[in-house]
Amino acid sequence: MADSHHNPNASHSARSFEVRILRQDGPGQPSYWERHRVEYEPEMNVISVLQRIAAKAITADGKHVAPVAWDCNCLEEVCGACTMVINGQVRQSCSALVDRLLEDRPGEIELAPMAKFPVVRDLVVDRARLFRALTKVKAWVPVDGYYDVGPGPRVSPATQEQSYPLSECMSCGCCLDACPQYLKVEVERLEGESAADFEARANNEFDRSFVGAHAISQAMLFNSHPTGATSAGPRLDALMAEGGIQVCGNAQNCVAVCPKNIPLTTSIGRAGRATTIHQLKKWFGA
Amino acid sequence: MKSAVGDAPASSFLARNEFLIRRLHSLSGLIPVGAYMVIHLLTNASVLQGSVMFQKLVYQIHGLPMLVAIEWLFIFIPILFHAIIGVLIIRGSLPNSGTYKYGSNYRYTLQRATGMIAFVFIMVHVFHMHGWFHFDSWLIAARKIGGAQFWPYNAASTAARALSSLPYQIFYVVGVLSCVFHLANGIWTFGITWGIWVTPQAQRWATTACLVFGLALSAVGLGALGGFAYTVDVETAYERENEMYDERVKIGDILPDEHKRYHPPAAKASETAQAPTYLNFEP
Ligand code: HEM
Ligand code: SF4
Ligand code: SF4
Ligand code: FES
Repeated sequence: MADSHHNPNASHSARSFEVRILRQDGPGQPSYWERHRVEYEPEMNVISVLQRIAAKAITADGKHVAPVAWDCNCLEEVCGACTMVINGQVRQSCSALVDRLLEDRPGEIELAPMAKFPVVRDLVVDRARLFRALTKVKAWVPVDGYYDVGPGPRVSPATQEQSYPLSECMSCGCCLDACPQYLKVEVERLEGESAADFEARANNEFDRSFVGAHAISQAMLFNSHPTGATSAGPRLDALMAEGGIQVCGNAQNCVAVCPKNIPLTTSIGRAGRATTIHQLKKWFGA
Repeated sequence: MKSAVGDAPASSFLARNEFLIRRLHSLSGLIPVGAYMVIHLLTNASVLQGSVMFQKLVYQIHGLPMLVAIEWLFIFIPILFHAIIGVLIIRGSLPNSGTYKYGSNYRYTLQRATGMIAFVFIMVHVFHMHGWFHFDSWLIAARKIGGAQFWPYNAASTAARALSSLPYQIFYVVGVLSCVFHLANGIWTFGITWGIWVTPQAQRWATTACLVFGLALSAVGLGALGGFAYTVDVETAYERENEMYDERVKIGDILPDEHKRYHPPAAKASETAQAPTYLNFEP
């Protein structure tokens, strides 16, 4: 379709490339690989590749199939919705450029859903556990109330400097998918179970499993905020509960894959220190 | 924020105390297990200064009161605790250094692999040299299958004999290097776990320090193994050790204890009816 647009500067001459996709028809269904062929156009990203595939809905073998499902939203790497495993590495598909991918691995791109979250369909996953972890560590500043409590305390420039990078987290889950200590938890809805019961049961499972680097970092972000610090104790309690910071094994993949370059392992170290002191205080008072 | 589900199964003891158990696991790796390992390797490396020097240090250790209690309380039980919890931790992880090829991720995988090797090595090593338990019937059985080959009052000569075969030498080199890597990398992760090195600069500095420590301890450990395997002349060391023993008994420094002395099988000729073979001793 795009021969006339062919970029003569492109380092590769192939006019089409293959896309291998790990598909799954629904939760709990078996997954299977499917090959698609996509005509090369200059400056494609993985989202535009998926758009071409959905428009055609014909595999490389000429079989008509249901269009591949995927998620996206902002298209500028700030929402995290489009996160998937591309050529074996977890990242955002909107900022994954086809020219770069084909340079690294000529002629082929491999797409799979995130490995640590339950698949909803094809490349769409359910990241409820990621958000549940933010609830568990109370990743907010508690200011809700019925009357005006006046202006909050000032945040020192030093704290601002430390906090700003942490506040850039977009809850994409890359840090979790790459973490060897973060194992997939998939809770299936039972026959006749109400949505509320199912959610409560799933949350109970999530709360026992590793919270993950993003939540540890958010806990540190809000603990260093002067107003957020009023809940510092409960946040540390949450980090020391089952599935808390102690599950981290210091592989440091989280910090290596975070697209926002958030200093996650610094947050983990700070949380390690804070929980040590918190435990001693709980034992010896003061 | 508690879940609304009433019939959720209660968490196990291990799960409810996960934080404390993991911190205790981390601490036990360093103190007493890691600290013991450093002292152990340094003591063993003293064989490079001669079998007499090594024997002197072994007498010091065996001069400690209630040695069996010390062994179990400060060495065996902490190692078993650390090892058993370690295996549970390994079971709950999904190493992925094949996909995410970062230095720290390789070290994460190696920490688990060396932990498993260390487990096997320590079990076999303690059986091979020490025998695990001290009662006679057990020791006789253990010695029949190649265990309990170290006699404290003939320290260098019996250790050297135990390490004289190439398969054992290879096994010990792999085991010692695994333990050393595991401790050096463990100190690094310990520092993050407890929040001692927090910033990336501090962690880089700690990486270098742990690397230097690991290389130095590797040299000590390999020195000890090489020392036993290649510098000790078993016959002369054995004679010297027996002279030291006689001297120490004479001046009242130690009580006579034939359990801790090696008696070559040749002494079998004078075997008495009741005494087990290893108790035979010709003054
Ligand atoms: C020579 C004996 C050993 C020494 C000196 C030792 C030392 C250490 C140290 C200092 C740590 C660091 C703790 C931390 O990260 O906070 C550690 C971690 C670890 N050890 Fe050992 N250890 C030994 C044997 C074993 C054995 C036999 C196993 C199990 C098979 C084992 C499994 C582990 C595991 C899985 C970790 C990682 C824990 C984590 O990162 O959460 N270790 N060890
Ligand atoms: S910390 Fe980074 S990798 Fe993790 S969810 Fe936030 S932005 Fe994504
Ligand atoms: S440092 Fe901890 S949270 Fe980050 S990837 Fe490693 S185990 Fe996971
Ligand atoms: S679509 Fe928002 S990050 Fe990719």
